[in-house]
Amino acid sequence: MTSEWGAENLYVSYGKIVALDGVSLSAPPGQVTAVVGGDGAGKSTLLRCLAGALAPDSGIVRRPDKHRLGYLPASSGIYPDLTVAENLDFRAVGYGMPARLARERAAEYLERAGLTSAAGRLAGQLSGGMRQKLAVIAAMLHHPELVVLDEPTTGVDPVSRSGLWWLIARAAAEGCAIVMATTYLDEAERCSSVLVLDGGTMIASGTAEDIVAAMPGSLRPAVAKPDGDAARRAWRRAGQWRVWDPGGAKAGQGERQGGDPITPDLQDAVTVAALAWGGAA
Amino acid sequence: MSSLASCVEVTRRFGTFTAVNRVNLEVGPGEIVGLLGANGAGKTTLIRMLLGLLSTSEGDVTLFGEPPSRQTRRRIGYVPQGLGLYDDLSPAENLEFSEAVFGPGATPLPDELRSYGRELVGSLPLGVQRRIAFAQALSHHPDLLMLDEPTSGVDPLGRARLWETIAEAADGGAGVLVTTHYMEEAHECGRLVVMAAGRVVAEGTAAEIIGGRQVVAVEAASWSAAFNALESAGLQVALAGRGLRVPGADPAEVRRSLGDLPAVVREVPATLEERFFELTEQAAASEAA
Amino acid sequence: MWAMIVKEFRQVRRDRRTLAMMIVLPVLLLVVLGYAASFDVKTITVAASGPQAGSVASILRAPFDVTRTAPDRGPSWARDQLRDGKADVAVVTGGARPHVLIDGSQLFSAKAALAALAEMQQRAPSGPGGTGLHPTVTVLYNPGLKTSNIMIPGLCGVVLVFVGTIITSLGVVRERQTGTLEQLAVMPLKPRDVFLGKIVPYFLVAAVDLAIVLAVGITIFGVPFHGSPATFGLGALLFLFVTLGIGVLISSVSQNQGQAIQLAVMTLLPQVLLSGLIFPLSSIAAGVRWIAYFLPLTYFNQISRGVMLRAEPITALWQPFVFLALLGVIVVTGATLRFRSYLAPAARERRPRKAAVQAQGAGA
Repeated sequence: MTSEWGAENLYVSYGKIVALDGVSLSAPPGQVTAVVGGDGAGKSTLLRCLAGALAPDSGIVRRPDKHRLGYLPASSGIYPDLTVAENLDFRAVGYGMPARLARERAAEYLERAGLTSAAGRLAGQLSGGMRQKLAVIAAMLHHPELVVLDEPTTGVDPVSRSGLWWLIARAAAEGCAIVMATTYLDEAERCSSVLVLDGGTMIASGTAEDIVAAMPGSLRPAVAKPDGDAARRAWRRAGQWRVWDPGGAKAGQGERQGGDPITPDLQDAVTVAALAWGGAA
Repeated sequence: MSSLASCVEVTRRFGTFTAVNRVNLEVGPGEIVGLLGANGAGKTTLIRMLLGLLSTSEGDVTLFGEPPSRQTRRRIGYVPQGLGLYDDLSPAENLEFSEAVFGPGATPLPDELRSYGRELVGSLPLGVQRRIAFAQALSHHPDLLMLDEPTSGVDPLGRARLWETIAEAADGGAGVLVTTHYMEEAHECGRLVVMAAGRVVAEGTAAEIIGGRQVVAVEAASWSAAFNALESAGLQVALAGRGLRVPGADPAEVRRSLGDLPAVVREVPATLEERFFELTEQAAASEAA
Repeated sequence: MWAMIVKEFRQVRRDRRTLAMMIVLPVLLLVVLGYAASFDVKTITVAASGPQAGSVASILRAPFDVTRTAPDRGPSWARDQLRDGKADVAVVTGGARPHVLIDGSQLFSAKAALAALAEMQQRAPSGPGGTGLHPTVTVLYNPGLKTSNIMIPGLCGVVLVFVGTIITSLGVVRERQTGTLEQLAVMPLKPRDVFLGKIVPYFLVAAVDLAIVLAVGITIFGVPFHGSPATFGLGALLFLFVTLGIGVLISSVSQNQGQAIQLAVMTLLPQVLLSGLIFPLSSIAAGVRWIAYFLPLTYFNQISRGVMLRAEPITALWQPFVFLALLGVIVVTGATLRFRSYLAPAARERRPRKAAVQAQGAGA
């Protein structure tokens, strides 16, 4: 019996719409795995399958039983008309935590998330960032082995985001396996492995370095937007245009016409993967 | 350069609480200015004053050289975070409504969006919704664009496409003020304004704001052991792929806290985000003082 | 301004449920009211006891309709007929003068009976040999023929419907809107626990409401409560279970609170109009009356009026109890099934493709 959680070859469809097609994910303990993709890419569907809120049409999901799993759904899963403390209380009782342990741990987590002064406030009156911090604490309160977080940092201000990340890092350091969905690539870079989804398919996976190294073709700078067919393979970034050349040599492997190739980073690699999948090659 | 929008020593108080404190800000034609700040830093209040929705306690807000009014509103394209579109109307109908309100002479939907013309906005993917909201805001040729978190939730390729639209508008002479939480996007802006505790604490390009600051990076064989060691030494630690970063500490201190743990300790350039926190914390500290 | 008008029209056109409410509902109401709204009593059922029971029918013509005769029974049998709701009027023969007992809890039948009797007196004044022509008339169970006495027991039911449908439907929809339903699905809670936990507080609220209505009715309006509180309580419990189940069903098909309230109102309105609360069942045209037999409030009205005004025993009330229980089973089963589909999706079987899901217990 392996202790590695994850999913293999998931297929999920809602009527005619295919939400996930052959997606696999591995969530080793003590590490944070990122799932990246835009709206509609299938991140939420994947995480729901992993957490057990949705049954896939086919495929295998390996997850612990409900007592050892924590979940943060896309819409926070927090009761707005209960206070911060009452929300945590509900979770504690729901997961069968003994009262004293629940109290102590809640106090500790609230302290670390900087929410102690807000303990008596209605959750609906918290700012977005504070509510997400509460939601993350609530998902981890019972020390689960697998924590599934659906976009915990989207729309959250940078200061709260760093607080959230601290909570996540802490849990990972204690051996928890964490899967989180995000649209921020700089966050994905912080995770030990990344899975990129687009339209329900995996378009890239591995560590950030692996994904960059696996990027096909090369990137060239351009002064202005190119015409014709190349326009579909070009995008603007930091005031500069870049064109993807699918068959080109990698940066540092000899010269071709045009400027020096740009050394790609994760954002470039992901953009290229999206273009390739969209048939721009 | 005649500015399209300007704030001069603008202050706004709510009772004893000062939300915006002597802020100076300018947006000129063709500029893309990024407004960065934590929640409660005063960004939203500032925007509301620029839009004319809120009056100032002190200082002057001018739009196109005059105080905000209904006339100046006609020349602004504003895309709030919630997009401001009616979910149960089609893009074409949304545009018709907007046109009727702002006056004739609106450009029609761009070609690639025309194919969505008949569907309800609520059923379209987020990236498309955002593009429609942009197209609508741009349709009456505003001189000033104000965008609140314009690309939140959109995938990298979609974000690049949205930024192309923004850049085109700026190239056409419009001034753009963008608020964002994405540090990646901060690099798209020609100029950044960082707010904390109601004040402007930094201004300039991303590189200028980072200003050569450095941060300690740690690569350890066992990152969780390193994490725990640094934590117990009271240092702030952040995850970075398979390694860790320790802002606000010097390499010697970090090496000491790690003790015998096998690790590589180096100094690397700080990210904009790390510099942003530093500034925010400094502002909070001086606020408390 | 024109732009706003056009926009609103377009939005309204798309919102099917609200459109249905605005257009279909008034039409439906008109049709139903047209057929249902009637206080006219077509027949007055009569039970006759005593030696001359057989001849009562020839004396009491339409609108009276003698449905039971029991020549060998006496006054207490006749009273029981009224008490158990088996007849609107009972005639006890065999004494010096015939004794007509009228069920005052059937307000309109009672008034019609009194009017008919008075008319008969007028047409054929008392004289020798006229049986039934100068009977003694007693109105039982609401001798004052007060409307409040029959309305308030019915209002008890309306209060329970309100709490049951509207508030329950909101309670569950709220979970869906804040995304907490998903969270519940993932926690180690059984769907049954969640369902019960959701409705128990409403039971208590409804019980309090009911107590208040009863207290006010009895103390301020002087409504009698002659019968067994236990029977009433049981009936209320059963009825509440049904309405709460309907509330949960409504919430399981509503995406937001607005829709939930619309549906709740659409179930409330027919119950108020067709359950016999305002218009007596017998007066409602048969073409529309059949709807009443699917409405829980119809049965609760029978129970509450029977128990409060006539001290009807539970044995006589077996029919409404059984129907309520039946409705209860149907509704609660439907509600729990829908609930379960939200809260235990991993247990769902999916068609064609083979699904293999291993949830490994990692040991406590």
